[in-house]
Amino acid sequence: MIYRIFRKELLDTLRDRRTLMTMVVIPILVFPITLNIFMEISSSFQESAGDKTMKIGIVGDNTRNYTKQLEAIPASVGPKTIEVFKDSLTLRKAIEKDQIQLGLIIPANEKQLVAQQQTIALNWLLDASEVGRSERAELYSSSLKANAEAKRLQALKLRPEQIRPVIINTINCASDKKMVGQLAGGFLPYIFIAFGFIGCMYPAIDLFTGEKERGTIETLLTVPVLRWKILFGKMMVVVSSGMLAASCALLGLFISIEFLDLADNQELLEVIHSILTPKFILSMLALLLPLVIFFAGLMIPIAIYAKSFKEAQSIITPLNIVVVLPAMVGFFPGITLDITTVFIPVVNVVLATKALIAGTLSLTYFLSVLGMMCTLATLAILVSQKQFGKETNLLL
Amino acid sequence: MITVQDLHKTFSLTKQQRKELHTDARTATAVANLSFTCKPGRIFSLLGPNGAGKTTTLRMLATLITPTSGQITINGINALEHPQEARKHIGFLTGSTGLYARLTPLEIIDYFADLYKVESKDKEARKKYLFDLLNMNDFLHQRIGKLSTGMKQKVSICRTMIHDPSVIIFDEPTSGLDVITAENIIQLIRSCKEQDKTVIFSSHIMSEVDLLCDDLAIVHKGALKYHDTMDSFRTNMGSNNLTEEFIRIVQSPTA
Repeated sequence: MIYRIFRKELLDTLRDRRTLMTMVVIPILVFPITLNIFMEISSSFQESAGDKTMKIGIVGDNTRNYTKQLEAIPASVGPKTIEVFKDSLTLRKAIEKDQIQLGLIIPANEKQLVAQQQTIALNWLLDASEVGRSERAELYSSSLKANAEAKRLQALKLRPEQIRPVIINTINCASDKKMVGQLAGGFLPYIFIAFGFIGCMYPAIDLFTGEKERGTIETLLTVPVLRWKILFGKMMVVVSSGMLAASCALLGLFISIEFLDLADNQELLEVIHSILTPKFILSMLALLLPLVIFFAGLMIPIAIYAKSFKEAQSIITPLNIVVVLPAMVGFFPGITLDITTVFIPVVNVVLATKALIAGTLSLTYFLSVLGMMCTLATLAILVSQKQFGKETNLLL
Repeated sequence: MITVQDLHKTFSLTKQQRKELHTDARTATAVANLSFTCKPGRIFSLLGPNGAGKTTTLRMLATLITPTSGQITINGINALEHPQEARKHIGFLTGSTGLYARLTPLEIIDYFADLYKVESKDKEARKKYLFDLLNMNDFLHQRIGKLSTGMKQKVSICRTMIHDPSVIIFDEPTSGLDVITAENIIQLIRSCKEQDKTVIFSSHIMSEVDLLCDDLAIVHKGALKYHDTMDSFRTNMGSNNLTEEFIRIVQSPTA
């Protein structure tokens, strides 16, 4: 009988355009659209910054020498024009008015410092809020620095190795999978949790408050079916909707990566493929299922209690923030699954998923998170059942 | 057959409700010591003004809500101890009954037939009988949201009768309906009587009661003010017409 109720409620839910939008269409489209827009905007900014002609203003001692050095830098780095200024104040004003994009201040005693083989401090003036300017200054700096070093070594009759006795390199021992897990691992569970919650929201309101508002609940309660069976049939639809929305979000992400070439780095693609194994997906769903049941168990008592769709929505929508904020914990480095975090709902699922992506999740922690979430899910079901049993909640 | 003995229902009042009702009482009595019997093949009418306790009484009979005290038996089944069993015998229809707008009449009827565990063979026969009787065949596959009020009412009737209940409870079934649509309900009530079913319906319209009922109970503020046959009511009335008599009984301190 529970399955019969589930079938009918699912059919009814799938015919609701609003629910279908939040359950399937938006989760599938959100990644391809947002990632595509982000990548397009980002690359167009980068391209335009690279193609843009930078006007460089130079002020100070020996400007001729520096002009020559800058002119010698190949145009492939980016087109440029050079203008010599009499004082740094005028140069600064020109930069503020965006008449000049980069300003190079050479010390007034540059020739003397060179002769005395002292350190020469070169200063760049720029508007760092504009895309590509810091990067361009960095490129010119490295060229000027290399030229100066070469001249100094030549004057001292030294080889570069003689003044660089040690070169220190850092070798990353973490696997690519672990790196992706740590850097981007917080993102995936966040999306799952957010869409899992949103996916539950409309069906929960529609199947409980909606039935009250439309006057169909009265009829349903007169049939010879135990109330907990009616509740379970409906709850299964709410949970399925949450799981479907989360899965559709994953599908959207997969489509973005596989078909829209939004992740064009081959190594990164290989790492993503090695993460998205059936074992990972099953473990992820195992963690997500009790969490979504918990969400459903939070929303259903509210939906049962509320007298109108509007009232239910006004209570459940702020709950979204309360639930989704802890899911952001995954974005912060250094917070890992431990004896404390394993008992914090939502946070534990985020951290477990992050560890799962990185391949560092132990079976003990996996089972602890699963156990914790199953306990909460059971409690949520019991609260829902209690609320659904109250006649004053069901009949208007 | 429905037997009601000393039925009592009180509701707890919330702070908001106490404020709205201008009372300090923590509970409100909706039904007080109500006793009556509805017999098969007879139409029993529960008459009373708005807020008299009619809907609460019928909801208790339909096992939607539990009485605070008292007894209800449906065809000899104790409805308080065995509500699931009692529900199998009951068909419940209200004037405010809603239908699932995104489903078709056929899907709704199939759904309720399954919930009432109607055998597959019986279900098909019953569906055919009701669809023909109510002339529903032309709109069986259209979504409820696109149907007229009259069509929806036919679907509601069909849903109520799909498990062939022997006890039918109607809570203000013609409320808000036009005369033509209301006629479907009146025909249904008459047909139930002919089939020897037990029928109870609530109303606040005296003319409707006069047209249909065999036995009458008048309730006011949850208490029974009058209970007898309709013939006896007509014979013994002390006013010029039925409506005036109804008002007289409701307003009298003791009836």
